[in-house]
Amino acid sequence: MAFAGIAGGDRMTLLTAENVQAGYGDRAVLRGVSLQLHVGEVVGLIGPNGAGKTTLIRVLLSQLSSTGKISWEGRSITAWSRKDLARRVAYLPQAPSSPALQRVEDVLRTGRAPYWGAFGLESARDLQVVLAIAERLHLSSLLKRPMLELSGGQRQRVFVGRCLVQEPVALLLDEPNTFLDIRHQVELNQLIRQLAAEQKIAVLAASHDLNLASMSADRLILLNEGVVVRDGTPDEVLEPQALSTVYGVTIERIERAPGEPPIVIPRYTALGR
Amino acid sequence: MIEAAQKTYRAKQWNIRRLLLTVLLATVIWVIVAALCVLVGSTGAIGWPGDRAFATRLWFRSERVLIASLVGAGLGMAGVVYQAILRNPLADPYLLGASSGASLLSIAWLVSMFGSSSTILFALGQQTAAFIGAILSVAAVLFAASSRGRIEPVTLILVGVIVNAVNGSFFLLIYSLHPEVVAQGGAFTFLIGGLQSSLSARQEWLAAACVLGGGIALMRISGLLNVAMLQTAEAESLGLNVQRLRWTGLVIASLVTASVVSISGPIGFIGLVTPHLARMVFGYDQRRLLPIATAFGACLLALADAASRFLSQQTLMQTELPVGVLTSLIGGPFFLVLLWRSRESQAETA
Repeated sequence: MAFAGIAGGDRMTLLTAENVQAGYGDRAVLRGVSLQLHVGEVVGLIGPNGAGKTTLIRVLLSQLSSTGKISWEGRSITAWSRKDLARRVAYLPQAPSSPALQRVEDVLRTGRAPYWGAFGLESARDLQVVLAIAERLHLSSLLKRPMLELSGGQRQRVFVGRCLVQEPVALLLDEPNTFLDIRHQVELNQLIRQLAAEQKIAVLAASHDLNLASMSADRLILLNEGVVVRDGTPDEVLEPQALSTVYGVTIERIERAPGEPPIVIPRYTALGR
Repeated sequence: MIEAAQKTYRAKQWNIRRLLLTVLLATVIWVIVAALCVLVGSTGAIGWPGDRAFATRLWFRSERVLIASLVGAGLGMAGVVYQAILRNPLADPYLLGASSGASLLSIAWLVSMFGSSSTILFALGQQTAAFIGAILSVAAVLFAASSRGRIEPVTLILVGVIVNAVNGSFFLLIYSLHPEVVAQGGAFTFLIGGLQSSLSARQEWLAAACVLGGGIALMRISGLLNVAMLQTAEAESLGLNVQRLRWTGLVIASLVTASVVSISGPIGFIGLVTPHLARMVFGYDQRRLLPIATAFGACLLALADAASRFLSQQTLMQTELPVGVLTSLIGGPFFLVLLWRSRESQAETA
């Protein structure tokens, strides 16, 4: 499928969302969100609990109905079949499910489900892609191992792998760092950056860790109460005043070497010390 | 680089050839077991029938083995589908009320047959009553558990438990008001799960058609079952229409269950244990699991039926032991052992 992107500024626009509103029953969660995602760019989605990060991701995956305009690759989200969208956009949840005794190959092969025919029939290409991705993520020697025997970091790589075998142009992640220690957080974020650069995959990752998000993202989007409060480079978005208002704690900003994103931390003296 | 990986890892592509080979393997397993079961006679003899009525007896035995296999196959495939869609390893084909509904309506049919000369009732037959009971019961569960056309596994299981309990108590109520139904022998045995030898060819062919058609339809969606085992959001992001699969899968599996329950009554544990057995040998891929579990179900029930035929003659009973009693008697402890073993193996590797 050839993709003729829409030139948006200097980069090709993959996703456009305009004035998106969505919610659950009577409760409005998104109150007019507009954003864009470009080819090969890594975007961090930050904001406090309840800001609408997960809801936004579900809406962008077409799992939740919404009003407003969303289009992937210039085509309205309502015009995409679920299967076609799954071949373009992959999703990594906070805690992906895998039956404990399932093998790595089972998990990876499931990522090709959007390409299967009736009776779950696979093409030769389905397996080629799985093997290539396994090679790329250093999982080749683990293919026959049950998920249960893997370390937390390996397991996370398998789930990233399941997304990649979908051969997506965009990857949406919902708090991928939650259950990882610092080393694995860094490894995962490096991997995602590499993938974005190598394969021109656009990444939108919801995160609670502002510093990790700013270090791995080209751009940050700050969401609060269902609207985009700020959208720009980490340097622009991590503005102490705005963050303090949004998160409800006093936040301090520490500058680093030029070219490196700043560090933001809550001011601990505010906790009564 | 990829060639090197292929050397250490022989990937098996699930293509039409592998699908057919798997179905062939399943068939061969079943044919071997079924052939052994034919050797077990209802007189307690093991081996070819030795008397003049050889052909008749052999025919009679093979019919029994075929019916047992048919019922077991239906329960096996339905068990796999229920467990995958409800994402619950303890789910069995009776969870949504098929068996209790079948029992309830067929005891109602039995009771209303007394002192009634209604030809309509008689023509309807116990099996049809059971089939309608199973369908109505599952329909009630699906209707009560769905909201705006959406079904969630947890709600479904809870409503299923409730409807099963209500059906069960109505069954006992009718039974205590009409204790004379026990005297019905075979017809009563049906209610607690026993294969019948008095089925008409039409009933047998109907059930066989349901199981075969259902089996093909379920194989068609077997790949989707792999995806359905994930969380809903993950499954949807892999292109699966989760709600549509839940409906189609559960409706087809329930039809298969209803059709076999209507010729066998509620035979316990086959639908629950079979998928686990098949998984132990063949892993988690539902595309492979489905045909294998179907064969395993057929084998298990054919074996249990042969055992009950053998036991009934060798031990205390003159009358035949209902096979449902036997499957529950063996199936229960067997399932416990399975649970213990899987718990141990998880504890070791964790």
